[in-house]
Amino acid sequence: MVLRENPGTEAPVDPAPPPPAMGWMNEHSARRLWRAVFREERFFLVLSVFIGVFAGLAVVCFRFAIDWSRLYLLGTGAVLTPTRLLLAPTLAGLVIAVLVIHFFPATRGSGVNQTKAALYVYNGQIPFRTAVGKFITAALAIGAGHSLGPEDPSLQIGACLASVFGRQMRLSRDRMRLLAPVGAAAGLAAAFNAPISAVLFVIEEVIGRWTAGILGSVVASAVSAVVVMRWFLGSESMFRIPAVELRHPSELIAYAALGVVGGVASVVFASGIATFRPKCKALPPWTQYFQPAIAGLLIGVIAVMGAPQVMGAGYEYIDQAMHGQFTWQFLGILAGLKILATLLSFVSGTPGGMFAPTLFIGAMLGGAVAGVQHLFVPQLTGSVATYALVGMGVLFAGFLRAPMTSVFMVLEVSGNYSIIVPVIVANTFAYVISRALQPIPIFDLLTRQDGLELPSMEEQREEGILHVEDAMQPVEGAVLDAGDTVEKALSEVGDRGGEDLLVRLRPGGWSTVTRQRLRAMAMEGKGGANLGSVLPVQSIPYLHPDHPLDSALRYVDRWPIVPVVSRADIRRLEGVVTERDVLARYREFGEG
Amino acid sequence: MTPGGLRNCRPYLRQRPVMLGLLTGLAVLFFLIVTGLSSLYHAQRAALGERWFKRGAADLNAARYEPAATEFRAALLYSRDNYAYQLNLAQALIGIHQTGQAYAYLLNLWDREPENGQVNLALARIVAARGQTQQAIRYYHDAVYATWPTNEEGQRREARLELIDLLFGTHANSPAQAELVALSENEAEGPGLHDRVGDLFMRAGDYERALAAYRLSLKSDQHDAAALAAAGHAAFQLGQYPLAERYLESAVAANANDHASAEQLKTTEMVLRIDPFQPRISPGERNRLIVQAFATAGRRLMNCAQGRSVAPKTGPAEPNLGDEWTSLKPRVSLRNLETRPLLADRAMGLVFRIEKQTSVFCGSPTATDYALLLISKLHEGS
Repeated sequence: MVLRENPGTEAPVDPAPPPPAMGWMNEHSARRLWRAVFREERFFLVLSVFIGVFAGLAVVCFRFAIDWSRLYLLGTGAVLTPTRLLLAPTLAGLVIAVLVIHFFPATRGSGVNQTKAALYVYNGQIPFRTAVGKFITAALAIGAGHSLGPEDPSLQIGACLASVFGRQMRLSRDRMRLLAPVGAAAGLAAAFNAPISAVLFVIEEVIGRWTAGILGSVVASAVSAVVVMRWFLGSESMFRIPAVELRHPSELIAYAALGVVGGVASVVFASGIATFRPKCKALPPWTQYFQPAIAGLLIGVIAVMGAPQVMGAGYEYIDQAMHGQFTWQFLGILAGLKILATLLSFVSGTPGGMFAPTLFIGAMLGGAVAGVQHLFVPQLTGSVATYALVGMGVLFAGFLRAPMTSVFMVLEVSGNYSIIVPVIVANTFAYVISRALQPIPIFDLLTRQDGLELPSMEEQREEGILHVEDAMQPVEGAVLDAGDTVEKALSEVGDRGGEDLLVRLRPGGWSTVTRQRLRAMAMEGKGGANLGSVLPVQSIPYLHPDHPLDSALRYVDRWPIVPVVSRADIRRLEGVVTERDVLARYREFGEG
Repeated sequence: MTPGGLRNCRPYLRQRPVMLGLLTGLAVLFFLIVTGLSSLYHAQRAALGERWFKRGAADLNAARYEPAATEFRAALLYSRDNYAYQLNLAQALIGIHQTGQAYAYLLNLWDREPENGQVNLALARIVAARGQTQQAIRYYHDAVYATWPTNEEGQRREARLELIDLLFGTHANSPAQAELVALSENEAEGPGLHDRVGDLFMRAGDYERALAAYRLSLKSDQHDAAALAAAGHAAFQLGQYPLAERYLESAVAANANDHASAEQLKTTEMVLRIDPFQPRISPGERNRLIVQAFATAGRRLMNCAQGRSVAPKTGPAEPNLGDEWTSLKPRVSLRNLETRPLLADRAMGLVFRIEKQTSVFCGSPTATDYALLLISKLHEGS
């Protein structure tokens, strides 16, 4: 998907007018206080709270909009009429197609990649129109029964609101870039009622790194969004979780089996998107008007044939599955049909998220696996709810490839830490299988299909990092001591080693001296002087073997030789690095 | 404000404190708008939930379980955690035999309110049907001591009655009797209830308490044919044959189709007619009855011996019953009985032993033999 809306360059910052005078302070003090209070980083934190509040309010409205569109399009009952089941998603698909093609082209898809693109491509700028479009089209799609979820659109709406505030506040480019993830975390936290998972997901999948500067803002916005959401919608968790427990460690084998099944299902799901999305996009442009409608019609057919549970986000059915409302055979069928329905909705370009369908598929698979295992191994005591819960994490790890978020998401949703071991075991299997069979994560796949080259968080996480020890060389010549006289130093050095020599200072620290300088000092009659007294007072920097090699780059151009010393005793020399060694190591790494 | 004035203010509006102030104002405004929307949203959902619930309740009352379940499900869409909706859905699901789903809902409700009588009773019924007796007993006990929304005493009593039924069904007679005693002590007025309690005491073999329960029932309705028959049966079992005769006569009079009571009445009358130990009969009449009983026992013994190769014995060291009867027969006459009072006891002792032994070894007794057997039980130890 191509983000066609580029909001342009950053606006120039207006010159700040003087602060108001304060009678009891002199002008200088007042100005200092003023600047301290409204320093950019503090202001950014306060702004993050506001972003959280606004994102929370927007997500609450988004939730109302989804529910209202469901009520008016599909009806109020638990059993829906076939006419509505067929017509609502079809007609909504037509309307959505027109809206997306003519008014909101940036609203296609889930919204996660668009937020990443805002961070890495557009300097944090997302047009307000995108939020409006996402709100309308996603609410219509999900409410009408398209198999999509509200979380990813909420993430994008939050990021968009943050971007709008950032533009109005004339924040610097760096801050603007960081603002989108802050809003994204707020939107996701409010939609998911799970602040920890939202923060982790944004860091794991959008920002890609932990930095103290952004973490505080992301947490502040996520928490304030959740508080607002709970104010209006209550603090009930998304699912009613029955008691879950792991009675015997041997049950972990069963959870591992669930991980394997979930991993394979993730690959099937991701492969379906990878295969059919480009094909749908390659169809003649006029077909784009009908793709969401056809997807809606097919989903309606699935519903009419006996599986209306696949429509919409499906949280109520996850809840029912956890409480043993379906047979394991039906749970398995629902998992398969949900993959199909979500594929149809997503590849047709209908705006909406993949979080909820992923959780749905995982829960149904988990329940089905529990049923099969109870059938063949009745000794297993894990309830359907436990397996469904673990199954949600499994698909999250396997399909969305966010392993850390997947674990915390299950913990946060269940509020039960006794489930952590099964979750980790199952998620690990799913993640490993998914990686082996589908090397490119789904979000990276989507960005590449859209022609963007955004950084892959998974690749970043696993990128090899060079350390100083990788470029470090053993010391060739003698290491001098600051207590030695110049003459003694000259005799010790002899002809061994290079031109630059290391001197160990007392009580600590290092310095360098060249042979030529030593000889010059001897010629000047300073042969009997201690090296410490004739060398410059300031010591040179030193490194430790575990430092990233990047740190060496800061010094090797200024000092011809940089000592690498032990962390336990900085007087103990482990080796040295030079500019040549560092560059050679980088060259080898790049070629390898 | 003129456009020029606005332009002059613009640098101040871009000041961060001013912008934060504006944001605060905007947040308050947005908050108020969402509060309004939220009120609308929640009110609409509550109304929809209530509408579907009312429809479901009407269908549940009319025993239309299938539509009731669908309607309760719809109600739950709008209020997922509503206790009443879930409980009613569980009841509808039980009605359509989807006990697995109902059980899941009930467990959830039990977690929220373990002291709810309706939930405990429903859970007890489900687990009892699954054969998990101990768990069912626990739920029944919880139901007996639980809180009920209406008619608490009556609901608790019904739960206890079901528990007693379950205990009898699993042959746990002692706990069942203990529950019955507790039930009868807290018994409220009502003939139907007394009858049920009486029936359960009969089932437990506690005929005295059963008779007392039926008498209480008959106080409310003296012509209750079922209570009369049951009281007659209880009195019969207690050996109170005159009382049994009275109740059974009334029962047969009240319900001519009650053949079991009529049959038992005949036996009762026979017992009363041939019992030589009954008070207020003349010595002559008593001796005549003894002679008749001795003859009846002899016939029973002969018939039994014809059907078997060896006549029944009382024990390895004891003489053959037939020989004993044969040796005693010449002495058992009206004249000897008048002059030798101890002979009556000896003759009747032999009659009773013959009837008991033959009832074990020689098949069904005749009506007279059965009456003699009952008389023997009546005078055991006397």
